Amino acid sequence: MYDDINDELNPWVEMLQSSAVEDRLVAVKTLQHMGDEEAIVPLIQALEDEDTSVKKIAITAIWELTNPIAVKPLMACLRSPDAEVREEALSALKELVAPADLLILLDAIEEDNFYMQLNVLILLRKIHDAQALPYVLPFFESEREELREAAITTLRYLNQVETCPPALALINDSSAVVRREATLTLGYLKDEEVIELLCEALTDDPDWQVRRNAAQSIALHKDTSAISWLKKALSDEHWQVRKFTARTLQEIADDSVIPALVKCLTDEYSDIRRDAAIALGNIGNPEVLSVLQQTLDDPDADVRIFSQRAIDKIRQQQTTVNQ
Amino acid sequence: MALTTQRVDVPVIVDESKCLEKCQACIEVCPLDVLVKNPETGKAYMKYDECWFCLPCEKECPTNAITVQIPFLLR
Repeated sequence: MYDDINDELNPWVEMLQSSAVEDRLVAVKTLQHMGDEEAIVPLIQALEDEDTSVKKIAITAIWELTNPIAVKPLMACLRSPDAEVREEALSALKELVAPADLLILLDAIEEDNFYMQLNVLILLRKIHDAQALPYVLPFFESEREELREAAITTLRYLNQVETCPPALALINDSSAVVRREATLTLGYLKDEEVIELLCEALTDDPDWQVRRNAAQSIALHKDTSAISWLKKALSDEHWQVRKFTARTLQEIADDSVIPALVKCLTDEYSDIRRDAAIALGNIGNPEVLSVLQQTLDDPDADVRIFSQRAIDKIRQQQTTVNQ
Repeated sequence: MALTTQRVDVPVIVDESKCLEKCQACIEVCPLDVLVKNPETGKAYMKYDECWFCLPCEKECPTNAITVQIPFLLR
């Protein structure tokens, strides 16, 4: 059947055609262990086997051979009704897809199959090509939240995309999972409304992970117009929001947030006390020296170390100014 | 290396109803070569009670016939 296949492989390749599932399982497993590049064609044919175990092992074997000719046959497995087959094929393709496969992916994403669309959206993150943008945009309005989430996540992996007005609406999506990814993606977009939307999400969103992600994204923009919102978020009920807000203020704080940061020096979470001390050090106002001195007795060693550094930084700045 | 007398006491348990006679996957991947085929039944079993609990035998078995019982303190 395969004239160009060597004698060592031949018995196993023939066994792969057996009507008994057990034989096909043994054959595909053995071919996987042999790892011979010549077995690629029979292994690709095994992807169409009716037994999912044979199919799964064939995917793993092809994955290990890392031959780019397998990309298209593996893509077909992404629409499999079996979750394990889809996951294995996706893992294999994550390593196999290259920028040259973009057109194959874009063809596949137009197929009316939920699993195929979802998996291709994930694979597009590996290629980073802005040409994929027109194909990603329609999913922002999909009825399935999984597709909206995958699409907005993929958007932040596409190079050279700086503005994307349709993406902004997802920060007010009905699903918290979509809003979480949308806030992270907005950190990489430069649309005019981005900062305002992130600030609203930071203080008003009911989901704490959205609020935390908003604080992270504001840190990427380093926009000082967000300071008053960050000041409000320093008293958020969730400690992670307070922590990431304090971190963001390390980049863009001014004197107006000093009282709120000083209050954070007595927070029950040591991470927040530490990040607030760093932010106060970066602001460099000598009026906070006495407060920082008090944190040198903090029960957490990290807080003590970073408070000392903040004090040293402020004193150094004072000396430079006096000179 | 001690020969095992009671197969139920060894850490690598093979479900004989699932083990394929022509398959050698677990035997090939075992770094200690302690798995062998029973010539009478054609099923794999742990001949020597030596195991690193490295798990490729369990992972590579195409029918999930192998269970490695990891001692509590190694978990």
